[in-house]
Amino acid sequence: MAEPVTSAVTMMDPAGLQAIGAGLAVGLTGLASGIAEKEIGTAAIGAMAENEGLFGKGLILTVIPETIVIFGLVVALLIS
Amino acid sequence: MLKPKQMTRAVIVGHKNILEETVDALHKANLFQIEDYIEDDSELKIGKPFGNISEISKKLIKIRSIGSLLGVEDVAAQRQDSSKILTDLDDRLNQLDAEVNAVSEKKTELEAELKETESLKSELVPFVNIDLDLDLYHGYENLTVFAGHVQENVESEISKITSSYELRYDPKASVIVLFVDKNKKEEVADALVKVLYKELRVPETSGLPADILAQLERKQNDIVKKIEATDAEIESLNTKYADFILASDELLSIETQKSEAPLRIATTESTFVIDGWIPSENYTNLEQTVNSATNGRAFVSSQEMTKEDEKKVPIEYDNPKVSSPFEEIMNLYSRPTYKEIDPTSLIFISFPLFYGMILGDIGYALILLTMAVAIKKLVSSDAIKPLMNILIYCQVSTLLFGILYGEFLGFPLASLHTYHGVEAGLIAGFETINLFASPIGGEMITYPVHRTHLVMTLIIVTALIGVIHINIGYILGFINENKKHGFSAALFEKGSWIVVELGILLAVLGYVGMLPLAVGIAVFLIGFVMLLKGEGIKGPIELPALLSNSLSYTRIIAVGLSSIYIASTVNLIAFEMIWEPGTAIGGMTIFAIVVFLFGHALNTVLSIIAPGLHALRLQYVEFFGKFYEGGGRKYDPFGYIRKYTEEK
Repeated sequence: MAEPVTSAVTMMDPAGLQAIGAGLAVGLTGLASGIAEKEIGTAAIGAMAENEGLFGKGLILTVIPETIVIFGLVVALLIS
Repeated sequence: MLKPKQMTRAVIVGHKNILEETVDALHKANLFQIEDYIEDDSELKIGKPFGNISEISKKLIKIRSIGSLLGVEDVAAQRQDSSKILTDLDDRLNQLDAEVNAVSEKKTELEAELKETESLKSELVPFVNIDLDLDLYHGYENLTVFAGHVQENVESEISKITSSYELRYDPKASVIVLFVDKNKKEEVADALVKVLYKELRVPETSGLPADILAQLERKQNDIVKKIEATDAEIESLNTKYADFILASDELLSIETQKSEAPLRIATTESTFVIDGWIPSENYTNLEQTVNSATNGRAFVSSQEMTKEDEKKVPIEYDNPKVSSPFEEIMNLYSRPTYKEIDPTSLIFISFPLFYGMILGDIGYALILLTMAVAIKKLVSSDAIKPLMNILIYCQVSTLLFGILYGEFLGFPLASLHTYHGVEAGLIAGFETINLFASPIGGEMITYPVHRTHLVMTLIIVTALIGVIHINIGYILGFINENKKHGFSAALFEKGSWIVVELGILLAVLGYVGMLPLAVGIAVFLIGFVMLLKGEGIKGPIELPALLSNSLSYTRIIAVGLSSIYIASTVNLIAFEMIWEPGTAIGGMTIFAIVVFLFGHALNTVLSIIAPGLHALRLQYVEFFGKFYEGGGRKYDPFGYIRKYTEEK
């Protein structure tokens, strides 16, 4: 007699997928911010070496790409 | 309050023989900013400096170099009578110079001697275990001396080459000293190369190396002691002369400033013309000062300000004392120009507001408030004070929002009932009160506001705060533009944005069926065309910024949440994972407390940086971008703020 055929259906936990999605949203945007800030930061330091008065502007320009990770964080909050 | 100080362009004219009195009076008043005269083809030439300027600068350089040599620091000192210092300045300066020179020369000599001893010592060290008088290393006719580092003893190799040799080997330092017949020199050298022979310089002195080394060490200790003694002498010179150095530096700086003033002034053969700026409120004061100093022989007049002038007027802030620390934040970006709105007082409200909304924690507010007050009390630096004042304002706002949010170092103060059960608060019996349901995300508005449970609502609320803030920016931009380029420019450049926003709002109302959709679209299109006319193609390209700028304000909740999560994670690790309150107290308790302290110390530092930078950025990028140009010149009056001296 043949064995009865059983099929096991594996379900992914939606909560787990949510968490992965949220993690990706923050992680990837964090990387993106980091890459963008790296470039600006180096240039800003260079400019500051020439003229210390540029500290304020350099700081501001450097944090502009922070917006990317903030949006990522907001999206992560919306997902979870 | 929202404008820089009114300035007046003033011109002072007089005969050259009263120039010195006039400059003196202006310097003392410390109100008038001299506009440097640049020579052109006209008859007017720049003036010649007063007195013996090179003599004064020489003294100034001398006093400054002595000051830096002695390490004199700026400290709050008793003010000294300037005339008294001036009378015996030369004598005291010469005396001081002689004393300092003697000491510093002595020190240089000692240091050179020390260096010499050290290098001799390092030359001697390799030979210390070889018991030969250093005299024996040289002065032979038929012998060659090899002295140097080798990898291993080569006696067996050498003995194969010749029997007439004398070899000393120190296995510890792997140093070899070898005396061989001159004729065998080459062969021996070849053998030595195989063991990586490296020649050492033999010190040119006599005696046993060990004895000399001991001698040198004694000498070295001696010199070090002597150097310490001269350092003490320098220190005592510092305490003895610091007051004099600071005061005379100040006096000589003032003298240099005054005697160089004619270089900035236009003169003819017998007259002078001083051109410059003064706050309008001080104009009569200036007239009186100059008149009384010259017995009315100099003529002061105010000039009409031209369009050209408006670009180069020096800018002095005109803010009430409470909001003046925020001028530092303005300076970090750029000073306003003359015809522009000075937003210092607006930042005074919005910066601490955003900071507080982001941080919003009673615990951190109290820690940082104490820190800021303490630093303000302890450090007397003029650069630190305004920053600490800003920090204090921010912490007051944080404290208020902390009470609204009910948070203390990441712990909620009130307990909260959720679907998942009860989250206990820090204060027993303090229950969260439900106020009303939020229209967004099915959330309940409560007191205290639990930010972690109201994310959706707060995202929308912060974006709306953004819309309001940005629109204030557009209105200010409208006012600025109206002042600079007239009403129509203002309407098309800045007003168009408000029309566009209105169009979007009406279209949304149309979308939900409260209005015909066409109305919204029509208003939007009108705004769009106005924008195109006002800003050119740049305007429509920047349209999406309307959305991204307002969404940028969601950082207020996002950064705030990240700060809460860091704090509550620290609490979780310390007081649940490592040690749970109520269980036995032991080594783990101490570890938990250490983790708690370090974690919150880290988050306290982050609590200055993250909310500060983000609140600042919202001002600089989102807000200022709508109206602010900046680029004003600092008002820097001719004069000196005395710290160490006074005129009696």
